[in-house]
Amino acid sequence: MSQGSLQDSWNMNRREFMKGAAIATAGALIGSENKAQASDQPVRPTSASQAEVGRVPQKPLGKTGINVSALGVGGYHLGTAKSQQEATEIVARALDAGVNFFDNAWEYHEGESETRLGNALQGKRDQAILMTKVCTHGRGKEVGLRMLEESLHRLKTDHLDVWQIHEVVYYNDPDLVFTPGGVAEALLLAKQQGKVRFIGFTGHKDPAIHLRMLAHDFPFDTVQMPLNCFDATFRSFETQVLPEVNRHGIAALGMKSLGGSGEMVTSGMITPEEGVRYAMSLPVATTISGMDSLTVLEQNLEIVRKFKPMEAAEMDALRERCRTFAADGRYERFKTTKFYDGDLGRQQHGYPTAKELPF
Amino acid sequence: MSSLLVRNFGTHGDKVSALGLGGHHLGDAENEQTAIQIVHEAVDGGITFFDNCWEYNRGKSENWMGKGLKGRRDRVFLMTKVCTHGRDASLATQMLEESLRRLQTDHLDLWQIHGVCFDNDPELFIRPNGAAEALDRAKQQGKVRYVGFTGHKDPTIHLKMLATGFPFDAVQMPLNAFDATFHSFETQVLPELNRRGIGALGMKPFSGRGDPLKNGLLTPDEALRYAMSLPVVTTITGMDKLDVLHQNLQIAQDFQPMTLEEMEALRQRCRPVAADGRFEHYKVSLQFDNPEARMAHGFPLDAQQREVKEMLKEGENTGSPFPEMKS
Repeated sequence: MSQGSLQDSWNMNRREFMKGAAIATAGALIGSENKAQASDQPVRPTSASQAEVGRVPQKPLGKTGINVSALGVGGYHLGTAKSQQEATEIVARALDAGVNFFDNAWEYHEGESETRLGNALQGKRDQAILMTKVCTHGRGKEVGLRMLEESLHRLKTDHLDVWQIHEVVYYNDPDLVFTPGGVAEALLLAKQQGKVRFIGFTGHKDPAIHLRMLAHDFPFDTVQMPLNCFDATFRSFETQVLPEVNRHGIAALGMKSLGGSGEMVTSGMITPEEGVRYAMSLPVATTISGMDSLTVLEQNLEIVRKFKPMEAAEMDALRERCRTFAADGRYERFKTTKFYDGDLGRQQHGYPTAKELPF
Repeated sequence: MSSLLVRNFGTHGDKVSALGLGGHHLGDAENEQTAIQIVHEAVDGGITFFDNCWEYNRGKSENWMGKGLKGRRDRVFLMTKVCTHGRDASLATQMLEESLRRLQTDHLDLWQIHGVCFDNDPELFIRPNGAAEALDRAKQQGKVRYVGFTGHKDPTIHLKMLATGFPFDAVQMPLNAFDATFHSFETQVLPELNRRGIGALGMKPFSGRGDPLKNGLLTPDEALRYAMSLPVVTTITGMDKLDVLHQNLQIAQDFQPMTLEEMEALRQRCRPVAADGRFEHYKVSLQFDNPEARMAHGFPLDAQQREVKEMLKEGENTGSPFPEMKS
C-alpha cells in the first residue's frame, strides 16, 4: 500500500529527528508507553524522574509513532507578541529548551501567526512538530485545500506534521464536515498526497460536539480540546471525550489550561503552576499554551522542567476546590459565551461579529 | 372584531388570553404615554396575560405597566419575575415588595424565578435559604397566587429545575419553529409540563428580536401561529409599539391552529438555519442574559449590550444592578 511506504518514510524521519534531538532516555520510554496504549491503557504522564532532569518531557503522539513535547507553543499568541523578533525569540528559546510542538491556525491574526512562525522556523523546520488548522467552518474540500496551500506558503514548508479542522464549535459542524465534498475529504486527500502527516480536529465548546465528530469513525490521529481543573466538573471534556480518545489511541491535545486568557489565575482561584500541572497530569500527548512573551515562556518552562505528575488525590482536591465556581462556567467562557468564537466561523454560521456580540 | 382566545390556567379556575404582553418591550416604548396606551389597547383587545420582571429596564417596565393597569388590575392576570440568580430568599422577598409597589398592586397572580440559565441555578434555587423558600412564603402569605420559573438557555436546565420536586404552577420557555429542531424546549420540556399539569408559557415566538422576520424567513403570521398552535397556556411576546400590538392582536384574534402538516413543513423550512443556533442567540450566547444574572454569576458585561446600556443610563442607579441591601 502506498500509505505503508509513506508511513515508513515518516518513521525514518522520526528516527533521524530523535537522533538530532538527542533525547537519551526517550527511546525506552516510547517503547513502554506504546505497549501501554495497545492494551487500552491511557498514556500515563512522564514523570521528571524518568526523563532527563531539566528537559521538557516528551510523549508519544497517539499511535503516530512520533513524540512531542509535553508543552506546546500556542500559535495565536505568537501573533499577539509585540513583534516578529519577539516571536522568533520565543520559538528559538522553546526549541532550545526541548519544546518541539507548535500549534497554529490559518485564521489566527489573519495569517500573521503562521507567517511569524514560518519565519521563526527558518532553518529549524526539521526540529519542530508543526501543526496548523484549516478554517472552513462548514465549507467544503476545495476551500480547505486552498487554505492548506496558503498555510504551507506562510509556514515556509512543504508539509505539515498535523493538520486539524479548526473550531468545531457549532452544533451542525459535524454534519457539515462529513457531508459529501466536505472538509473531511480534504484531510484524507492531503494525507495521501503527503502534504500532511497526521490529521485531527479541535473545538472548545461542548463535549457533545466532539463526540459527534468521533462517532463518524474517521481516522483522526489527534483531537484537541480544553482540559483544566474547572472543565473536570463542568461540561467535561476530561470525563466525556478524553477517555474515548485514549481508547482509540488518538492523541489528545490539551488547551486552555488556565481558562483561555488566564481567567482562572487572575481571579485568584488557582496558581499558574497548579493549572498547568493539572492539565499536564492528564493522559494527553501535549498541553498547548499561548505564550506571547519570553517571560511567559520562561514561567511555563520552569513549571514543566520540574514537572512531577499530580497524584490522583491531589488532582481530586483541586477539582473539588474549583467545583463551586466551575458549576456556572464563569471561568470557561469558551464553553458558555461567544467570546472565543472567531469572526470567520461566525460569518459562515450567520452570527454577528465579535464586536457586535462579544459574549 | 373577533375575540381573543382564552385558555385555562392553574387550579383556581383562572382563564388567560392565548396571547400575552411581554414586559421587557413595554419599557422600550417611546415614552410612558405610549406604554400606557399599549397597555390600555391590549386590555381592550382581549389580552389578559401580562408579563414583567423586576430587572427589566431597571424598574421602568414594571412602573409603566403599573401605571397602565391602574383601574384595570382586576381585569388582568399579572405576572412578574424575581431576579435572585442564585442568591438568597431574603433578597427575593425584597424584590417582591419592590415589584408590588411599582406595579401598584397588593398581589401578583404569578411570580416566577427569572432567567434560570446557568447550569447550577437549579441547585442554588433549591438550597437552604435559596429563592424556593421565598416562593413558598409569598404564596402562603397570599402575596402571589401561583409560582413558576423561566429561562431561555437549555432544556436540560429546565428539566433539572423540575427534578428539584418544587411544586411549580407555571414554566416559561422559548417556543418557536427554530427551537423545534435545536436544543428543543418543545420536544424535551413541553411534553413533561403537559404530563405534570404545569402551565406552559411560551415566549420568543419571533426568536427574541424578530430576526427571522427581518430576514424574510418567516412572516409574523407564520411565526406567531406556530407558537400558539403548541399545547401552551399562552404565548408571550414583546410589543414596544402600537403597530406591533395591532398586528399581533389581529393574528391572535383570527387565530386558527396550524395543522400538524403545516407545523412540520415550517419546522423543516427552518431546520437548516436552526441547526447552528443563529436565530436563537439566547441559547448560545450571553446576549439575552441580563446584567443582574451575569453579575450574580461572575460573568462579564459588555458595554454595548442593550440591557447594560439601559441599566447604566437609568437615573437613580449607581452602576451596580444589585439592590440596596438592608442588613
